[in-house]
Amino acid sequence: MTWRTVVGTLATFVTTIVVAFWLINEPARMKEAEDGFAGRSMEAGAAIYENNCTRCHGPAGGGLVGLAPAINNPALFDGSRLAEVGWAGSLHDFVYSTISGGRPLASSGTTWPQRMPTWSTEYGGPLRHDQVRDVTAFVLNWGRAYEEGITALQNPETATTSMEPIDAVGIDINTPELPPGNPDDGEALTVSLGCTACHIQTEVGPAWLAENHPDGTGIGTRSGERIDAADYTGAATTAEQYLRESIVRTNDYVVEGYEPGIMVATYGETLTAQNLSDIISYLITLK
Amino acid sequence: MSLFRIHAPILDDIRSDGLMPTLIAKTDEVVTRLTAGLNVEEIRSVLRGDPPKRPNPRVKPHADGFWMHMRPTYFHEKVMTLYPTFRLGWLSVYFLVFETITGLVLMLWYTPSPLTAFEDMQNIMSNVPLGLMMRDLHRLGAEFMVMVVLLHMLRTFITGSYKKPRQFTWFTGGVLLLLTLFLSFSGYLLPWDQLSLWAVTIGASMAEATPVIGREVNLLVRGGPDFGANGLLRFYLLHVFALPLIAFIFLGVHYYKVIIHGHSLPPKEEEIGVDTARKVPMEKRSYFLPDVLTKEIYWVVIWTALLILMVTVGNWHAPLEPHADSQVTPLHTTAPWYFLWLQGMLKLGDKVFWGVVAPGILVNFVFVLPYLEVGPSRRYIHRRVGLSVCAISIIVFSWLTYMGTPYHAVSSSPDQEVVAALVPQTHPGPVRTASYDELVPGEYSSDKWNSAPTDNLREIMETFDHEINKYGNELPGAVGIMNIVDWQVGLKKVTLSVVWNNGEDTFTQNVYVHEDSKHGH
Ligand code: HEC
Ligand code: HEC
Ligand code: HEM
Repeated sequence: MTWRTVVGTLATFVTTIVVAFWLINEPARMKEAEDGFAGRSMEAGAAIYENNCTRCHGPAGGGLVGLAPAINNPALFDGSRLAEVGWAGSLHDFVYSTISGGRPLASSGTTWPQRMPTWSTEYGGPLRHDQVRDVTAFVLNWGRAYEEGITALQNPETATTSMEPIDAVGIDINTPELPPGNPDDGEALTVSLGCTACHIQTEVGPAWLAENHPDGTGIGTRSGERIDAADYTGAATTAEQYLRESIVRTNDYVVEGYEPGIMVATYGETLTAQNLSDIISYLITLK
Repeated sequence: MSLFRIHAPILDDIRSDGLMPTLIAKTDEVVTRLTAGLNVEEIRSVLRGDPPKRPNPRVKPHADGFWMHMRPTYFHEKVMTLYPTFRLGWLSVYFLVFETITGLVLMLWYTPSPLTAFEDMQNIMSNVPLGLMMRDLHRLGAEFMVMVVLLHMLRTFITGSYKKPRQFTWFTGGVLLLLTLFLSFSGYLLPWDQLSLWAVTIGASMAEATPVIGREVNLLVRGGPDFGANGLLRFYLLHVFALPLIAFIFLGVHYYKVIIHGHSLPPKEEEIGVDTARKVPMEKRSYFLPDVLTKEIYWVVIWTALLILMVTVGNWHAPLEPHADSQVTPLHTTAPWYFLWLQGMLKLGDKVFWGVVAPGILVNFVFVLPYLEVGPSRRYIHRRVGLSVCAISIIVFSWLTYMGTPYHAVSSSPDQEVVAALVPQTHPGPVRTASYDELVPGEYSSDKWNSAPTDNLREIMETFDHEINKYGNELPGAVGIMNIVDWQVGLKKVTLSVVWNNGEDTFTQNVYVHEDSKHGH
């Protein structure tokens, strides 16, 4: 019996000391665990963003011309955006509630052709509330770059939204002469520039893929037929030229059934000759 | 004359005997009442280990006290040693109580709703002082309890303790085994993470295979076609209310039967076919007070210390995966380990036969075993057949368990398997647990793993290379590419691709890694 007493007392003693140390360290441990869960939330949010938001807000939150505003934007984090819309609550609540409920009406001063959709299942959207929470955490993490004064990350995929001046192709459909294009690069560009949001995922613009178009023809086929059509008002003489015109001078000829001014009219100022050629060489393959 | 008089006899005693003697006498009285029969002097002599007086006053609490009446006055000294019980039945009770206590603490912070359950778990782990420890203890205790109960069953089988007159003890034990398994299983769902949702979904999908009423059983268990708010609430109520209640009732019956029949002696101590457990000669008695009680206190201390040390210095932690998502089935989900044998059997073929009929027969066989196997002798030498069948069953169950794991007969494609080895969907894995700073942005190729700039990267790329080589012919000319870019401040995007067939086929998956996320902690 005596050795049991000794061992038992010793075990109690050791355990008490361990628990005491654990308790002393508990506030620090809890803080670390909390940061850990916040980090995991951003990880999950980044994936949700990639799957749902990239097509309008761009891969790195820089926004896409004609589709949706930048949300990695200092105005969101320095309070000026909140002041602009007259939001009295916290930034977190502004972002969380915008994502949850979407923007059924345009906020003052903006004229985005598409609405920000509803995301939370609470309002009939596809994301659970914890997913909205995660993607909110991810969006708000752009604020860290703003706080720490970091302007650009070494991220190749954000290059399209960087502020560097580019050598734009302009709005003439004959000059400059376009270099040979690469259809694979072109396809990637249509995704990152958001063209697919209007032309493939939705029918805001004429469908590019044959299976989505009422005539059963793809844009590659139609562009060749269009120039011979009676109602054609543009100046193009080849299919490639028609595509070039549609992209850089979109309102010279407006496809029947569509309103002018919906498709962004400034691509001539944001695309390089190489970009444009890549896109055209891709579109021409969509028979 | 006053309106009423307070009559406090103690005042009379103090007046006649003096203050101290009266207080001492009263204390003694209170202690005797609380212990249902032992006064201070007797308790001290118990603690000193003195031999009892005659007649033994230490048996009185067993007759008069509620708690002590549940325990026998004395045991046979031959069942006090480690063999034959290995204290496994006692340990099962210990864990049942341990789980109840730690579980009650967790209940304070937990709401059984898909809207809050997962956040509540995170809150317990990051915001409740000692919350993490309680959760880890509860989870660890649950794993131990299943193991201990299984071992206890194994030992009562091996020592032939299920034989006459203890058939019914075994039978109630069978009920307790099922309760233990379902207690653990129902608790598995509560954290509402991917691990819990899918492990339980796999387990519950067996209910669906029930002939004729499969659909109804399934709806009843899950509260709908899929687990959702209803299913979670049902599992919660089972876990914290119904199952523990039934378990405590059956523990009462089980232990009552154990006492009624006495602990069976080691087989060789008895004549064949005779049961002498109840007739313990005077000189072989080991009294509950103090021998058994002190030993039990000792074991409580040792086990509690062991468990606490495991979840603190031992760094054992219960897992918490991402939030449950009924749309995304993680690759390699498995049932909890004690149901893996069932998952293994399901891989053998027909869902109805292997998922319902065969396990049904097995379970029922456990219950009726003592009524079928009625050989009189408990000695090992006379039970060669029974013990061999037992040994073979253990081997078969281990094999089935192995078959239940993803190591056996995986159905997904090799390219996915390779990527899943780096970023598994059921646990963190090497990429997420790598040091954030060592995930240097850049592009790395598995065939040149040695030239990666940091230790962690080299380890990851070597694993990548190793995994790809495992599938030689299935992925001809394959190479693994890992691309890391800074995505946000404190967040990196890691793209893993497997490229094979001269670049014609690729499989790509992205994961994001945050500097604070502390996966695997
Ligand atoms: C169909 C295109 C589209 C998609 C997809 C989309 N958004 Fe938006 N989003 C918009 C538009 C348009 C606005 C601007 C609405 C307005 O101000 O009128 C907007 C506004 C926002 C705003 C508020 C910005 C501000 O300054 O007012 C946030 C935050 C936001 N979106 C986040 C997201 C997130 C997160 C996702 C993915 C879950 C997402 N969006 C998906 C189109 C989209
Ligand atoms: C905001 C929605 C929107 C976006 C973004 C958009 N478009 Fe359009 N696009 C339209 C609409 C609407 C039309 C039809 C009206 C017109 O012809 O101007 C159109 C027409 C076209 C046409 C002619 C289609 C035909 O059937 O003849 C081409 C080619 C085209 N877009 C290419 C692009 C490319 C390339 C991009 C990306 C760089 C892009 N669009 C982005 C809305 C959009
Ligand atoms: C929660 C689960 C269980 C608890 C708490 C429990 C508890 C106990 C205790 C305290 C004893 C006496 C001490 C000992 O023999 O170790 C005992 C004996 C026994 N148990 Fe269990 N038990 C459980 C499960 C089972 C199971 C699953 C079986 C078999 C199917 C079983 C069969 C027996 C038998 C046959 C005895 C008598 C042993 C003897 O007299 O030697 N018990 N149980």
